[in-house]
Amino acid sequence: MPHCTPEQLSLAALREPLPETDRAHLDGCAECRAEVASLRRGVDALAVPQLAAPGAAVLPPPSVWAGIAAATGVTTAPRPEALAAAAPPPPVAVPPAPAVDVPPAAAPERAPAAVVPLRTRRSRLLLAAAASLVVGVGIGAGAVALGTGDDDGLAVAAAALDPLAGSGASGQARVVERDDGSRALELTLDAAPLDEGYYEVWLLDEAVARLVPVGVVQGGGDTTLELPPGLDLGEYPVVDVSVEPLDGDPSHSGESVVRGVLES
Amino acid sequence: MTDLLERGGVRVRVGRVSSDGVPPLGGTPEPDDAEVGRRFAAGDEQALARAYERFAGQVHGMAVRAFGPGPDAEDVTQQVFVSAWTGRTGYRPEQGPLPAWLVGICRHKIADTWARRDRQRRATEAAVTEARSAANTTGPQVDTVVADRVLLLGELEQLGQPQRGIIELAFFEDLTHTQIAERTGLPLGTVKSHIRRTLERLRTRLEVDGAALHA
Ligand SMILES: [Zn+2]
Repeated sequence: MPHCTPEQLSLAALREPLPETDRAHLDGCAECRAEVASLRRGVDALAVPQLAAPGAAVLPPPSVWAGIAAATGVTTAPRPEALAAAAPPPPVAVPPAPAVDVPPAAAPERAPAAVVPLRTRRSRLLLAAAASLVVGVGIGAGAVALGTGDDDGLAVAAAALDPLAGSGASGQARVVERDDGSRALELTLDAAPLDEGYYEVWLLDEAVARLVPVGVVQGGGDTTLELPPGLDLGEYPVVDVSVEPLDGDPSHSGESVVRGVLES
Repeated sequence: MTDLLERGGVRVRVGRVSSDGVPPLGGTPEPDDAEVGRRFAAGDEQALARAYERFAGQVHGMAVRAFGPGPDAEDVTQQVFVSAWTGRTGYRPEQGPLPAWLVGICRHKIADTWARRDRQRRATEAAVTEARSAANTTGPQVDTVVADRVLLLGELEQLGQPQRGIIELAFFEDLTHTQIAERTGLPLGTVKSHIRRTLERLRTRLEVDGAALHA
């Protein structure tokens, strides 16, 4: 067949599925593939989750308005009650997760994580990026299985971890569930070793407003971190790795190097 | 992320304040968003406060999503409103609603913050290299994607409607061209050719200025 139309190649650059004939041609045509790649650089630069349309609202602290008023010289002020009506209260860090040696038997029967099915192009891509983790997809009793069982347990969710703020770091995470119901987060982090401080792993909610610390990892290696029993991954689906200074402050430093959304 | 991918409608939530509990000032009814936008562009300080009440949560939510809660996100949110106010004559109500304009500014501020961090990283690496007096002539590399983003967000600003709206739906709302056609009411062929022209334009911008920037 002749080359794909320029319009079809643009859709391919946006990662839209193409009709079968175009797909077949693209597979065999270096010229068309090069065109897609050249158009995709712009797509990949801008179509990132951090620049996507606004998600959940987060109420900024009062100091933000104070700074705006100082910089602009305006003498008006937002009404606190009107602000609160339009956005939820500021992020509240949840208490540290319980110690891992809490007897799992004490945990109530957990509801399966409420996992959102994959529907969109980009979510599929996220999964494709984590393809090495995904062996097969099957629907079990209440849980969506992401892999075949092995000695480490059944993979129930996975995430490709994308760099934040040009950190250059990347990684992959998956959650495995063992026969006894315990779960662990298996993390591969490709990040530069730190001279000072350490990498800490967090699970965040989608609004990036609440977070649970999961543990400390090294860049450039695999780590398995136990997850607290009863933690609802549907509520905390975002895996985040931050750089933490050795300052004794247990809260998130705000400096994240990778982030990804667990998908089942 | 799934949340924002799956919600329909125009995504910039207009944080409409219910009238109960929030007494209107001086007995006048609350202005609607379009009115706030017009007054904002005209320099009415009250409109800045109203815009903050309604949209600061959306803007700060984006900043927190990019940087986590903390000073970086707060700086971005503050800069968005300060820049919007000082540049208010650049707001064209006929080009789109005020919250969409604020969100566009927020994307710039996020990309600028990434670029600033990248410059700091390179400055630090350069200092380290120098301190070690390594015979490294190349120096720390610019993060290409970080630089591309700043460049391309500027290029998006130059697009007129409907091109800009179409590509934003594709990039930032993850809609397919079919969904964009449904959303905008434009013919499929029109949507596809606008997408094509915009992607070519972005590619050209990268070829012309991206290369120089990365040299
Ligand atoms: Zn071809």
